[in-house]
Amino acid sequence: MTERVPAATNRQLAVRLAVSRALGRARDLDDVYSAALNTLAECLEVSRASVLLFDPDGVMRFRAYRGLSSEYRAEVQGHSPWTPDSVDAEPLLVPDVTCDPSLERYWPVFAQERIAALAFIPLVSLGRVIGKFMLYYDAQHAFDDEEVQLATVIAGAVAFAVERGRTEGVARGSDASPGFEPDAAIGAWEWEVSGEVDPDGRLSGLPSKSLRQVRQCNVMSSRDCLKILDLDGRLIYINDAGLEGLGVDDARELLHRPWVDLWEEKEREPLREVIARARAGAIGKFQAPCRTPAGIMKWWDIVIMPIVGADGAIVQLLAVSRDVSAPWRAESFQAGQHQVLEMIATGAPLHQVLTLLAHIVEDQCEGMICSVLLLDADGVHVRMGAAPSLPDDYSRRIDGQPLGPRVGSCGTAMQLGRSVIVTDIARDPRWEILRDAATAIGLRACWSAPILSSSSPKKVLGSFAMYCASSRGPSCEELRLVETAADLAGAAIDHHRSQEALRQSEVRNRAILRAIPDWMFVLSSDGVYLDYHVNVADHLLVPPEAFLGKSIHEVLPPWLAEKFTRAFERALATNEPERLEYSLESRHEPRFYEACVVRSNGDKLLSIVRDITDRKRAELDAAAQREELAHVNRVLILNEQSGALAHELSQPLAAILSNAQAARRMLDRSPLDLDELRETLDDVIKSDKRAGAVIHRLRELLRKNKADLQPLDLNEVTREVIDLTRSDLLLRRMPVKTALSPGIPPVLGDRVQLQQVILNLVLNACEAMSTVEPAERELMLTTVADDKCVQITIADRGIGIPPGELDSVFDPFVTHRTQGLGLGLAISRSIVLAHRGRIHAENNADRGATFRCFLPLADVQVSTAARDSVVTTLAPG
Amino acid sequence: MTDVAPLTVAVVDDDEAVRTALRRLLRSMGHNVHVFASAEEYEDRPIPADCLIVDLRLPGLNGFELRERLRLRGASIPIVFITGDGGPSPGDTADHPDTPSLAKPFNDGDLIAAISRAMSASPGVQ
Repeated sequence: MTERVPAATNRQLAVRLAVSRALGRARDLDDVYSAALNTLAECLEVSRASVLLFDPDGVMRFRAYRGLSSEYRAEVQGHSPWTPDSVDAEPLLVPDVTCDPSLERYWPVFAQERIAALAFIPLVSLGRVIGKFMLYYDAQHAFDDEEVQLATVIAGAVAFAVERGRTEGVARGSDASPGFEPDAAIGAWEWEVSGEVDPDGRLSGLPSKSLRQVRQCNVMSSRDCLKILDLDGRLIYINDAGLEGLGVDDARELLHRPWVDLWEEKEREPLREVIARARAGAIGKFQAPCRTPAGIMKWWDIVIMPIVGADGAIVQLLAVSRDVSAPWRAESFQAGQHQVLEMIATGAPLHQVLTLLAHIVEDQCEGMICSVLLLDADGVHVRMGAAPSLPDDYSRRIDGQPLGPRVGSCGTAMQLGRSVIVTDIARDPRWEILRDAATAIGLRACWSAPILSSSSPKKVLGSFAMYCASSRGPSCEELRLVETAADLAGAAIDHHRSQEALRQSEVRNRAILRAIPDWMFVLSSDGVYLDYHVNVADHLLVPPEAFLGKSIHEVLPPWLAEKFTRAFERALATNEPERLEYSLESRHEPRFYEACVVRSNGDKLLSIVRDITDRKRAELDAAAQREELAHVNRVLILNEQSGALAHELSQPLAAILSNAQAARRMLDRSPLDLDELRETLDDVIKSDKRAGAVIHRLRELLRKNKADLQPLDLNEVTREVIDLTRSDLLLRRMPVKTALSPGIPPVLGDRVQLQQVILNLVLNACEAMSTVEPAERELMLTTVADDKCVQITIADRGIGIPPGELDSVFDPFVTHRTQGLGLGLAISRSIVLAHRGRIHAENNADRGATFRCFLPLADVQVSTAARDSVVTTLAPG
Repeated sequence: MTDVAPLTVAVVDDDEAVRTALRRLLRSMGHNVHVFASAEEYEDRPIPADCLIVDLRLPGLNGFELRERLRLRGASIPIVFITGDGGPSPGDTADHPDTPSLAKPFNDGDLIAAISRAMSASPGVQ
């Protein structure tokens, strides 16, 4: 059902979170590689994997691996399906290495390493392959789409982390010292400051040694901001690097102001404490973000230490601030990404997720504005997803725009499904329509990446854009950020849409549930009620607490519990729905129920129960009516047959009387012939029994009996009918032939009703032949069986059925007979249908008509549980 | 019981029980009895008999038809019809007033009376 989609996106989200968590802990590239291998092992259950990257010389080299021998690594080192210039690289899957001739030269080493299947997952950054994951399998492996998607997700995150790690590593590597430890570097000096700091913040009159030391320190930490504060914390000196880092041209803007005033309110108190500590002679450390006077957010790592005068007293304070924004950004981006993923996973509203995403990216690049646009389901119109830093007017202007080549970078990116970089909004033709609106708020460049769905085929969901206030192209770092953000936005939108689809289908399901009157019960495989749904709780026979958690054997009457148990067993065994009908007393009236039991959620059972009392009553009314009619039909038959029946009865009675009177005469003779007397009395008994049987049959026919379903031998039933009508047929010169297949399997039926069917068909045949010469007449009764039903055929050589009336011959009151109401065939059909059989009539090729009646075998009926419903269809109560 | 003098009686009835019982009854009265299951069987091997007791409803030729054929051939054997379904229709009886008929079951006395009446009506006996 609809659960599949969210399951897939949930899984993907879980993998994204796992990889983000693992990468978040990574301190260096090696950590990144091992995070990648861990995530692959965890999420894809691959025990052997490796990470390879292109060297600067374009050779693919192992960076990390798990479960590979050194021989193997040496053998395959350098192999790559891609070059550093490869674009649009897709994963390569090798379900069976021995079936891939392109890998033939590696077959021996694969065999040695026991590698039966492989996957090459490209690590792509900005469209180019930077390396690959390899997944290795001991056995042949059928890759599924989800697996490949998850591997690609991991690859995307890892590629980003690798690129970032490399950039950062380069920056760190250029430092003379790997860490920022100015206390160790500077603390070794003795500071003797006796000179004055001039009003411009220049040091003057300092002893050359001190100045040299400060300069030395300045050179050593050339990229750090050096400040000297007086004991009141006022800024009295700042070096050039400091001014540059703050984006300030003239030191006078800053001097003689309390340093803490440059910081945001919440940072001031901790900073004061650090200054106080330095004033007390200790070295204080402090890390905090602070906007530069130009408005750029930077993250600072600060060390404050006392400057000791010649007399050993603390005269001033030295503050060394290092801009640690780059590593901090990488970390904060990692954390932010994780936060976004967690928001997605916890089902936060899409707008909030996208807004956070935009903020995170904006925090990474100074002065940038981000926007997320969504593409409508119609694939044409654009909706504003989130743009927290764009003016509302501009957002409103974009919202609802149709896609098009002149509707900004995003419109084009969505249309092409490719990143679009516009370096000059003022001139680019793609900005024709929105140009004025964009330039009016100072947007000069825009770089857009399409947001694609993770499902294949990939669908464009929207675009992620970064706006810049100057006309320029993005750095690699910026472009990677845009693409990573687009990827995250894709995950968010995918998840949101699938959740929405699920929610809607749940809403729909609930609506359907509300609309249907059925009751639903969820039961465990051993018949314990776990849950239920009813539309109107009042209609439950017992309150929920009386059955939830209890077994059907505790809740239902024993016979019904037994019936359900059998249905459960069959449903679990066959996975097919099992139906059963039953009736229960509810509020002092019997009500009828139909239950459908199906296996659901593994070994649970769903029982859908419907109150079918109304339908059942109508059916029973119809059954009662049919029985009434059948009875009328039988009475009519008897009426027609009264002569024959009288004959059937008077024959044995005549024999009895004659035998009895003969016996009396024998008694008068002497000597008594006892043997003859005994023989005579035996004959009396025999004839009496024969008369009794006739009367019994008559009584059966005349009784308004309820149907009594028994397994019946249809041959026997046929013979009984022939016996009953023999004298009549004789009198009417209707020669009867039978061809009854011996040993046919039993049918489930009511003896009298099936006799009635055959009787009606026999009488109908006789009537059809009444105008035919006696020599031409023939009534043929045949039975045959196959594996589903028994067929009884009654063929005559009479006048046949007028061609136009073949269909209506079973309708009531349609008759060609001179006697009767024309109910015989109609009643016969209704009886046959009630037995789940069918009947039809056809004209013979030469002469006469044939009626075929099919009745299902008893065991077939029982196995389909139809027996219950036949019984209830035929028998009210 | 005032039985008539011993006679030779032919009984035609398709019902074996009836046939056997009649043979037993007539024999107990001292008569000679020959039984036949059908009119055709009787015609195939007719025996000289004083009286013919015929069931009206028979497979093949029925009782009336047998009498017709016998009459047509000039045989004047006295006949008693017996019937299991209320006797011959009134028309038939009117046509043949000399042929008594008995509805089954019948008393031994009625049977003797019918035989006597048939024999007295029959020209052959007169």
